Amino acid sequence: MMKGSQRCDLRDIMVQAFLEATEKKINLAVLVSDSTSTSKIKPFMERCPERLINVGIAEQNLVGIAAGLSLGGFVSVTANAACFLTTRSAEQVKNDICYSDTNVKLVGLNAGVCYGPLASTHHAIDDISMMLGLGNILILVPSDPIDAKQIFDYALRYNGPVYIRMDNDKFPVIHGDDYRFQPGQADLLKTGSDLTIITMGSTAHHAYFAAEALQADSIHCELINIASIRPLDQDTIAKSIQKTGHVLTVEEHSLHGGLGSMISEIIAEQGLQTQFVKLGIPQGRFSKAGPRHEIQAYYKIDKNGIIETAKAMMGKND
Amino acid sequence: MANPFYLQPEQIAQKAKEIRKKIIQTNVHAGQGHTGSDLSEADILACLFFRILNLDKESIENPNRDRFILSKGHGVCGLYCTLAEAGYIPKDKLQTYLQFDSDLPGHPVRQKCPFVELNTGALGHGLSVGTGLALSAKMSNRSFRVFVLTGDGELQEGSNWEAAMSAAHFKLDNLILIVDRNTLQLADRTEAIMAIEPLTDKLKAFGFDVYLTDGNSPRTFIETIDALNLHNQQPKAVIARTIKGKGVSFIEDQPTWHHRIPSGDEVARAIEELE
Repeated sequence: MMKGSQRCDLRDIMVQAFLEATEKKINLAVLVSDSTSTSKIKPFMERCPERLINVGIAEQNLVGIAAGLSLGGFVSVTANAACFLTTRSAEQVKNDICYSDTNVKLVGLNAGVCYGPLASTHHAIDDISMMLGLGNILILVPSDPIDAKQIFDYALRYNGPVYIRMDNDKFPVIHGDDYRFQPGQADLLKTGSDLTIITMGSTAHHAYFAAEALQADSIHCELINIASIRPLDQDTIAKSIQKTGHVLTVEEHSLHGGLGSMISEIIAEQGLQTQFVKLGIPQGRFSKAGPRHEIQAYYKIDKNGIIETAKAMMGKND
Repeated sequence: MANPFYLQPEQIAQKAKEIRKKIIQTNVHAGQGHTGSDLSEADILACLFFRILNLDKESIENPNRDRFILSKGHGVCGLYCTLAEAGYIPKDKLQTYLQFDSDLPGHPVRQKCPFVELNTGALGHGLSVGTGLALSAKMSNRSFRVFVLTGDGELQEGSNWEAAMSAAHFKLDNLILIVDRNTLQLADRTEAIMAIEPLTDKLKAFGFDVYLTDGNSPRTFIETIDALNLHNQQPKAVIARTIKGKGVSFIEDQPTWHHRIPSGDEVARAIEELE
């Protein structure tokens, strides 16, 4: 797959990774909670019906059973909407997965405001903050078909709890062929000297095209995509901030306990001198509901919002 | 794999007495604990570890061993004392119960103690995880059994009923839920706080094969377990009638002894009653 090639739903990549893993004798059990369409799991269901477990609409049980299957020797993967996974079954995630250190991969589907008009019951703008509160779970966020495949391949072979934040949009490739996912390694999508933009998942695409557009205004952005929230590559982030002295974080998540919060910790702890702006859903608020692109525009986490914010930061507003 | 002790009921009753003495001594030494809950389950644990469970010292990592989940994690001192009595943990380790960074904290931790399968303490988790374990056995053609011991007040947690529904749906006849039915929870009688009866009817309606037994009589309890049909495509529920605080007259059936520990001359009186 090459840069700019056809857009791809990352859930299809996920299912492909599951099929390949079973072919490679990984003892996989995939669990859904009536979320067969949400997870686009049908190809796996048809090929490996004995490995697909539907627990019905019961998210606490979904996570508990996943833990039990892993204690019985399976690599368990749950696949359901992030909003229900991370809050309905929060205690199961904490105790049965994290504290008990079971080999379970939790896939939070349709995270952020993917469910746009379905409103805040269905939005997951607090999933990263919830997971960050739990000590030992890896938090990974794919953004395109290239890193999605590598993240799933990695997670299915890693022994321990992993949370993978997923989107339901179709995304083009923004990574080069030489990209290799490494946990704890930031992903430098563009190098530049004027402004550091740090982002993850869906907003990586808006930021990518915004950064390209900003070149015309002679704003050279360094674009860092964070596919590995935990562990976090503090060095690359700090070095870039030191270089540019201006940092903008962009996330489809609450500004409380998400990517921006983590970057602010780095800035404060390392005493970095920088201008710092965070874009996301403001602290203490639920997101607006409506078509997703309108929500993104409202919170300025789309291409235009990022361009406008970046120009303002650099004193180049029209 | 078999149980290395395979004791007779009267020998198990003797073991339960020893476990109860350790429970009193360990809680007294620690200065806190769940005395009533620990004593309530002592006979059930003695039956499991000295007769029923197919596991031994060498089988800690054996995927074919029977699994036991103490879903009522607050009864952990009862489990630690049973494991010590069986020689699975050193007896002197009980002295570290509840101490800083001990391997034996106030709820079980699988990374720290053999035969702890799950880090419980928050109620309503064991049955789902037990369901997953029982399902894993079916999916990998293994013949191990999964025993989950819950409290009775614990069944007020809705997650149990999600698990119960799925255990029946998946036809997990290798899953045995044991309910320590001492009729008391932290604050009062279960039936006064939030009634769980008619428990047999509820579990039957959810698809369980349900048995009532005496959880303080090793003979009766073992007879019940031995008679279970593990090939009838139904999960089992064994409602074990118990007395909270069983074995020490002044602790028995008293809500205040959920958290209390013996003090002063109560210690000697308790031990004397258990001799």
